[in-house]
Amino acid sequence: MRFRQLREWQLALPLALAFTALFLAPLLLLVGVSFYNDDKISQPGFASWLKFYGDPFNYKVIGDTLLLGVKTVCTTVLIGYPLALVYLDLSARLQKVLLFIIVMPLLLSVVVRTFAWIVVLGHEGVVNSVLMSLGVISEPLKLLQTELGLVISLTQIEMPLMLLPLISVMSRLDPNLRDASAALGASRWRTLFTVTLPLSMPGLVAGCLLVFASSTTAFISQTVIGGVRLIYLPLVIWQQSLVVYHWPLAAVASLSLVVSVLSVVAALSWVGRRSGGYIHG
Amino acid sequence: MFNRRSLLAGASALGGASLLPGLAHAKGGLVATTYPGTWEDAYRSIVVPMLKKKDDIDLEMAPLFAMDQIGKAKAARGAPPFDVFVLDPGPRIVGIEGGIFEKFDGKKLSNLSKIPEGFTDEWGVHVSAQVVGIAYNPKKLPAPKGWTDLLKDPWVSRLGLTGFQTTFGTSSIIEISKQFGGSLTNVDPALVELKKVLPKIAAVGLPAAMPGLFQQGQCDVMYTNTQTVATLKGKGVDIEFVKPESGAISFFTTMHIAKGTAETANAYKYLDLVVGREVQESLMKPPYNFLPVNKEVPLAPDLPMKSLDEMKSYVIHDWAKINPLRAAWIEKFNKEMAK
Amino acid sequence: MSGPGMSSMGRRRSFGDLTYGLVIGGIALLAVTIIVAPVIIVLMTSFTEGRALKFPPQGFSLEWYQQLFDPVKSRQIHRTAGNSLTIAAWSTLFGVVLATLASLGIGRNRSRLARVADSFFMSPLVLPGITFGLAALVYFSVLGFRPSIDLMIAGHLIVTMPFILRTTTASLSQLDPALLDSSQSLGASWFYTLRRVTLPLIAPGIAAGAFLAFMASIDNVPVSLFLSNARTDTLPIRMWGMMESTLDVRVAAVSGVLIASAFVLMLIMEWTVGLTRRMRD
Repeated sequence: MRFRQLREWQLALPLALAFTALFLAPLLLLVGVSFYNDDKISQPGFASWLKFYGDPFNYKVIGDTLLLGVKTVCTTVLIGYPLALVYLDLSARLQKVLLFIIVMPLLLSVVVRTFAWIVVLGHEGVVNSVLMSLGVISEPLKLLQTELGLVISLTQIEMPLMLLPLISVMSRLDPNLRDASAALGASRWRTLFTVTLPLSMPGLVAGCLLVFASSTTAFISQTVIGGVRLIYLPLVIWQQSLVVYHWPLAAVASLSLVVSVLSVVAALSWVGRRSGGYIHG
Repeated sequence: MFNRRSLLAGASALGGASLLPGLAHAKGGLVATTYPGTWEDAYRSIVVPMLKKKDDIDLEMAPLFAMDQIGKAKAARGAPPFDVFVLDPGPRIVGIEGGIFEKFDGKKLSNLSKIPEGFTDEWGVHVSAQVVGIAYNPKKLPAPKGWTDLLKDPWVSRLGLTGFQTTFGTSSIIEISKQFGGSLTNVDPALVELKKVLPKIAAVGLPAAMPGLFQQGQCDVMYTNTQTVATLKGKGVDIEFVKPESGAISFFTTMHIAKGTAETANAYKYLDLVVGREVQESLMKPPYNFLPVNKEVPLAPDLPMKSLDEMKSYVIHDWAKINPLRAAWIEKFNKEMAK
Repeated sequence: MSGPGMSSMGRRRSFGDLTYGLVIGGIALLAVTIIVAPVIIVLMTSFTEGRALKFPPQGFSLEWYQQLFDPVKSRQIHRTAGNSLTIAAWSTLFGVVLATLASLGIGRNRSRLARVADSFFMSPLVLPGITFGLAALVYFSVLGFRPSIDLMIAGHLIVTMPFILRTTTASLSQLDPALLDSSQSLGASWFYTLRRVTLPLIAPGIAAGAFLAFMASIDNVPVSLFLSNARTDTLPIRMWGMMESTLDVRVAAVSGVLIASAFVLMLIMEWTVGLTRRMRD
């Protein structure tokens, strides 16, 4: 038995080797590179860290990046959660169709999804031409290159990441619980807030995690829809690495992105575990 | 089981099939940079097929702005990611100082006698002249007269702005700055004035994004070069070029062979073709309107100048003075323009 | 939402239920619209006669599709599409081998070390793609590699492999251990059991993961952005370039082709391996 365990365990070795060489080593090197002062990577030191964190502008960028994630999470929850509720009430057949509709955009290139929003939000795009023909507005609204436009687009682009874990948890809930709540005279609203919502918390938290991590790093959508006046960390990383070629600074910026995003993710999943514990306890 | 097998077989067949053209182009290949937008369009549709026909060389175009090319080449440390650069005066100097060019020998060009003297040197060859000024949409706006108009109504609320990443952006902001008391090495007055009207400005974009923003009507006036105007016109966009009162900016664009390239012979063939009559003539025609450098190609009437001698009357910037300041300007622009 | 009074309970409940239906149903409808509309709008725009991306599109023509399939005019697009397929196929192939082995090795192992290794292998999913892209660029340049298809395959392998590992491990954990034990107690060798019992049972899981990995590779931007050059750039990078500069209507036509192929592939995967069910669970 012991021998067999050992042999089975060894099957993971090729992947472990590949990951060490192609994933762990590059990341460690990136950490190493961040401790150099100059773009030629010749003088070790803390200058890049000091420069990045000595500049108040970069705090604003980090703050804006995290805030963008929070805003996107809020809109995907507000719009996605009701859809998940409706999913529960559908027949098995319709559930399949809806799930297909939800998953479909996920398999569609982010570039295509971003492009779609240029067509929708542009100066002569769908929203403006519909509103103008209805006489609601006389001048086209400026939607591209604004945070509002970016959040609207990201809501659609990230929606599947919210809905999949949510639906996965919710469809495992015992439907009898909701029926019991109704039978006891609770309104549907009350059932939603006292029964369904708390029980679906793990799925909701998982969805928030994925949406947050994905929207804060959505470089293409951020630059194409947001323009360059809205500066988020991925744009800074891209400029420092592929425009200015200051790799140490780019390394500092990207490690800052990892740390700030992952710490929010960790905090969220801690909340998730806590709320999960509360319900079962 | 069958599904998985067939899936993988299908996938690897696809992979294998698409590898084949890759093998084919290993014989005579060349990677040359080009500027995104008009240059990219023009070179892909004219030069790539011609080089294939004439010398059987598969030319790949890498769309990158001059600064990005220099950065990429420096970062590659001796293994150049492309074989030929196309650069403006500023990045050209940076490239020479950075030692990323192969020494250039003009005598290897069969067309050497067809281009004016002084258009080749030990680092490269002039391939075109560019003129930078103001472009606007005549259906939406009256014609602006000079740089200061950009910051006034009605233009300012339709203005598309881009920063110091490119030669046309840098030169234009320097000219704006001069109107407000700045100079070649002092762009602060321009940034101060731009900041004042920032809430009104229609769009701020990456340089490559500007033609797209104009095309979509996100902005209706911007600074750009004459070729971009011609290309947009060719796409049916309402756009006209204006020489500012204080003069339009002009400079030569040059090409250089990357140090350490394995394709030197192909690179010379490419450069020879580019300055040759056929290419220069085709590039001069609408919708590209490139200013030719070949003496056998007379300048067409719709170009901004009648002969290259007129360049002297244009605004010409000394990039040796601008270069050391540019990185700081880029950073400053980012911060001043951020919301 | 607060507790209904005894006397008017019936009426209030129906009123509350009505608003519930309206609000939840309305938002769910909005959500479906937001998910589906941009996709349909892009499809419609791709059939325009005009040269600009305006909505509603002017006339109906296949002009942009003809341009897209023109081998001369769109050579670059075809080549990048070929690169994308090559990279996706090879990285998926390597991913399937490595992930299946690893999954067999530690997928059912409950030891702490195995769990740590598993989260390590899954971590590319949460790590910002742009950070890994930069790290890989720095790493390969320091090692002196030139940009090539091989490097792109290596990079894509890391970020797409987790999908295969996840679905394979999930289907392994649903296997009845008694089945394997009985096979072995009947004298079958470990390898024979693997080949005749385990693999056939987990094959749909592997296939679903391979499909997701393949699509993720086709879609990948952050890694390709850093590792590609003029010869190896991929379809999304090329599309991004076209979107940023010339805003050619061919982008809509490429999107149309991608939408159609994703739709067909997804239908096939749905019928054969129950893709959406696996993504939900």
